[in-house]
Amino acid sequence: MSVIIQERMPVQKKLEILSAAAKYDVACTSSGVDRSGSPGGMGNSVGCGICHTFSADGRCISLLKILFTNECIFDCKYCLNRASNDIVRASFTPEEVCTLTMEFYRRNYIEGLFLSSGILVSPNHTMELLCITLKMLREVHRFNGYIHCKAVPGAAPSLIEMTGWYADRMSVNLELPTASGLRNLAPHKSRKNILRPMKQIQLGRKEAVGKPFRIQDSRTGSDIKLPDDLRLKDSLNKDDLRLEEDLRLKKDLKLPDEWKSEGDWKLQDNFKNPETVILRPSSSALGLVKRPAVSRGFVPAGQSTQMIIGATPENDYQIISVAEALYQKFDLKRVFYSAYVKVNEDSSLPSLQDGPPLLREHRLYQADWLLRFYGFQASELLSEERPNFNILMDPKCNWALGHLGKFPIEVNKADYYTLLRVPGIGVKSAQRIVKIRKTSNLRFEDLKKIGVVLKRALYFITCGGKMMYPVRLEENYITNQLISIKERLPYGIDGSNLYEQLSLFDDVNFTSLNHTDIRSLTL
Amino acid sequence: MITKKIFMCEDSIEGIFAAIYDAGSSRYGHDNIRIQVQTAGTENFDMELFSEYIYVAGDEEKALKVSKAIREKISGEAYEMVCHAALSDEGKKGDMIYRFLILGFSLGPKAVNLLNNDKVLNIFNLNRNVMNESHHFLGFLRFTESKDNILFAKIKPRNDILRLIAPHFSDRLNMENFIIFDERRKTAVFHKSGFFWIYVTADDFNMDKLLELSDQEEEFQSLWKTFFNTIAIEERKNYRLQRNNLPLRFRSNMPEFSSNDINSSDDISGK
Repeated sequence: MSVIIQERMPVQKKLEILSAAAKYDVACTSSGVDRSGSPGGMGNSVGCGICHTFSADGRCISLLKILFTNECIFDCKYCLNRASNDIVRASFTPEEVCTLTMEFYRRNYIEGLFLSSGILVSPNHTMELLCITLKMLREVHRFNGYIHCKAVPGAAPSLIEMTGWYADRMSVNLELPTASGLRNLAPHKSRKNILRPMKQIQLGRKEAVGKPFRIQDSRTGSDIKLPDDLRLKDSLNKDDLRLEEDLRLKKDLKLPDEWKSEGDWKLQDNFKNPETVILRPSSSALGLVKRPAVSRGFVPAGQSTQMIIGATPENDYQIISVAEALYQKFDLKRVFYSAYVKVNEDSSLPSLQDGPPLLREHRLYQADWLLRFYGFQASELLSEERPNFNILMDPKCNWALGHLGKFPIEVNKADYYTLLRVPGIGVKSAQRIVKIRKTSNLRFEDLKKIGVVLKRALYFITCGGKMMYPVRLEENYITNQLISIKERLPYGIDGSNLYEQLSLFDDVNFTSLNHTDIRSLTL
Repeated sequence: MITKKIFMCEDSIEGIFAAIYDAGSSRYGHDNIRIQVQTAGTENFDMELFSEYIYVAGDEEKALKVSKAIREKISGEAYEMVCHAALSDEGKKGDMIYRFLILGFSLGPKAVNLLNNDKVLNIFNLNRNVMNESHHFLGFLRFTESKDNILFAKIKPRNDILRLIAPHFSDRLNMENFIIFDERRKTAVFHKSGFFWIYVTADDFNMDKLLELSDQEEEFQSLWKTFFNTIAIEERKNYRLQRNNLPLRFRSNMPEFSSNDINSSDDISGK
């Protein structure tokens, strides 16, 4: 491993290195939490999120997305920062991250901070650095804007909990859709280490919501009251504590004593052997550490994750089944899909002649929306017999054509979720239809006005019992009609290399869905 | 043939409401009435033949009566939609609001849901357009720090959204002194640390002092550009998508698109 570290590197250079190293992380959303400003502090948060600019690749920039360090002891084959790569390495200090965040935020460049990191020294050491940075930002700089922070796989639960009290959103990247993919490409990461913090955050969120100062006993279901003296200390010595902590932060990067829980869980022990750390089986997911004086809730904006698409041979059915399991069993807010970009030469990685598989990524996002907002299940969209999405048609059209027996539906009568299944009717137009028909019957020209794409929808609906034109409800005919309407793909994903991609997809070795992978998500 | 009555009013919520009040109480018949807002661009509009032009001065009392009637006879939601629509730069907004209110007063609260009715749809679209632009500026607005430690932002919005975005920044940056200036309308929002924001018309606004930048301003702009340029993924470069998401008209006050930047000049070619 050769590492080039420059002493006294200017912040500008660090920012260049550590933002370039962070750019493959997809999530840049600042959504999920509404919080008004705090007197004396800076920042608030808007539930729907705010995009502040768009980079040359057309992606939204909402957060200052950086790695804390790219000095990484892991050697994940797909990653630019892997230990065996000969690249310039850099690390921020917590102060530098705070200054950049505060000054960018004041000028309204950003909505907040997205802090990720390579693994410096050990997972715990790294998590501690991230946590200390967040603490400094919240308590010294009194930053009240949005923070998204990575949970480092393998880090102690106490550190993850502490970070969760400062962050709005946390994420652990699944990296690859299946455990075997992970074994092949990320030898230092394990599925277990990725899912454990995810589970911890999920349980912690459930526990923290709506009961800010109570801990529930999981056996009896009754609330355990925190000892009164513990709470008193919280309110009485707030200011003294903060000062003391600030001093400590500046001296060294050790965890302040008062973070340690009063209970039988010693942080010191956790650090020595993180592998043995498990969540307390019979008690709550929270309570490993003393929470900060100002409570913004525990990971109030929820957690997200991301999978790299196209680096390993999983098919689309496997990928969306994993995504579905993550939504259902881990309450994730978002699963992101990242078309694999080849940054390293490695025999175990595929060569991508046509660039990153953007159309495939697009189809997965479309399917993801169908899972989250349209009431679809993964097994309705794909199957083991037909494991990949049709590149010529979006997943919803594809589904509708396979289920022509369910159509046409009557727009003035069908329920909301049935309306959502019609190609050309989206969430907004379905909501409008439901609203309008309370007072008046809808005609085709009305549908057009409120945003229904009639040239798609006309094959699947009736208004007042009549179709728009006499149409044969026949699969081949409608398929041809729908394909002849050009689908509006995002700019840059044009149809010109569709046929090459088609053959590429066919090359994907279809192995039957690995059920143990899905089951392993239940942890 | 009956002479048309055209009620002319100033470009403000009070002005439009006052005209609507006068138009309604004239009992001249809705079909023979039109509301025309005098905006900066319509001073020399073509006068119509066989029409009587009536100039209505802004009147707080009349405006209050109209706003009360909207909230009571239609709904709070309708009132909000109408207020936002009144901030639009659509020339026909005065008459659109008038038509919507006539319908609303007869139908009551359900009027806002009738999106298949053009009178409702017009207001819905104006409202949406104004709110979308307002939301865009929450993100695309940029402050520069002056020598006196005042944050200063210039914007050039199509719709009059300044007062819609002011509460957001006032809450977010409550300990900062800042000024947001609408270059098109010569209006401004002032915020002093720890106080509420105020809205002023600022015809002879002198911004020279505010444009004297603080010592570290250039450094942070340069850091921001560095970040902006490195965060893009080369293999996914897509200027059309970028322009679709962030139209050129927003970029004039954004440092990441300032002219000495290679990336942004590339961008105009739209490859």
